[in-house]
Amino acid sequence: MDVISSSIKTYNIWFEISGVEVGQHLYWQIGGLQIHAQVLITSWVVIAILLVSVNIAVRNPQTIPTDGQNLFEYILEFIRDLSKTQIGDEYGPWIPFIGTMFLFIFVSNWSGALLPWKIIELPHGELAAPTNDINTTVALALLTSVAYFYAGLSKKGLSYFEKYIKPTPILLPINILEDFTKPLSLSFRLFGNILADELVVVVLVSLVPLVIPIPVMLLGLFTSGIQALIFATLAAAYIGESMEGHH
Amino acid sequence: MASTVMATKPIALAKASPSLSPRKISIRAQAKPSSTSIPNLKRLTSKLLFSVPSIAMLAATPLPALAEMEKAGLFDFNLTLPIIAIEFLLLMVALDKLYFSPLGAFMDARDAKIRAELSEVKDTSAEVKELEEKAVAVMRAARAEIAAALSKMKKEMTAELEVKLAEEQARIELELAAALNNLEKEKEEALRVLDAQIDALSEEIVRKVLPTT
Repeated sequence: MDVISSSIKTYNIWFEISGVEVGQHLYWQIGGLQIHAQVLITSWVVIAILLVSVNIAVRNPQTIPTDGQNLFEYILEFIRDLSKTQIGDEYGPWIPFIGTMFLFIFVSNWSGALLPWKIIELPHGELAAPTNDINTTVALALLTSVAYFYAGLSKKGLSYFEKYIKPTPILLPINILEDFTKPLSLSFRLFGNILADELVVVVLVSLVPLVIPIPVMLLGLFTSGIQALIFATLAAAYIGESMEGHH
Repeated sequence: MASTVMATKPIALAKASPSLSPRKISIRAQAKPSSTSIPNLKRLTSKLLFSVPSIAMLAATPLPALAEMEKAGLFDFNLTLPIIAIEFLLLMVALDKLYFSPLGAFMDARDAKIRAELSEVKDTSAEVKELEEKAVAVMRAARAEIAAALSKMKKEMTAELEVKLAEEQARIELELAAALNNLEKEKEEALRVLDAQIDALSEEIVRKVLPTT
């Protein structure tokens, strides 16, 4: 009996399943450019989850809400309160942006942690939360940047650029640097949190598979929810900050 | 061992380049010295620290320049970025049409309706007070009416009684007068009789007293 090689073979299976591949992507090609297909696939799943659940819950609104409608009303009130606190009285037009930001990041993070993506085997790379890819987080951060520039310019016109020399012109380089560090910090905060949490969970699962990783997974759920909230709150804060002033 | 495992992912080996190759961080619970994994992690973290300023520049440079970059494991910017941005914007429009606007309008309408009903309830409490006062006034009027009717009835009855009383009194006086008259008559009769008798008596007495001659 080839005891050693058979035990090594079974060990190989666990090794295969618990291996983590950092930096492995499934590449699709469009023209001369490449795409991380696993990010696209998981983002489609997240979008599908959002649209289907919204459709089902909000179809016939009742005066006394049903359970699903109640949940979505709570979410909408939460987003409204968040936007109102950060942006002020003109928060109405920004609710879709902040709300979509919060919901997309929240559902992405929790889908990455809760859904069993590993069941679907890709030829290269693996499926995980779409926010564990630098492209997603930088895209969201750049959208936030564009949003707060648009908010400031549409409200104040070209006098928006006066804020660079307020309160004193000495702070001009710092204010310009802020326009780069804001999207940078937003994207890296989200990217680092989600990727690192995934790595920690996978490492723990491959070391001590059964019970020990569960507290870390719960912590991961908690922090990923908080990260969604932080991203949305900061986006709203930047928008509010660029819209404020003596107008 | 390492080669058999690594051979299942041939693409990783094919694209190996010294600085930014994708590395499979394989964790084994075997009692193998983890000396090979730690240098990998060190290199990864150093890559991260090194590429942060480059990311700052990359975020500002236009997109086609990124496609020419070598395949980097973690910091691989490609067409995924604008695709995700477009997906996000489409999701925003879709959620606004399906969820934020309709549910928001519904909630606001419900709030306004509740507020209107509340203020209406406050108004009807003033109406209720009016009705109460009216009721009290009506009761008072009714009581006053009853009292007036009572006093009127009392007056009528007393008047009737007095009339009857006067009648009876008059009758009694008549009877009394008649009786008195009778008595007078009888007295006179008696007196007359007595007078006659007195006369007779006195005659007798005189005859008896005076000597008869």
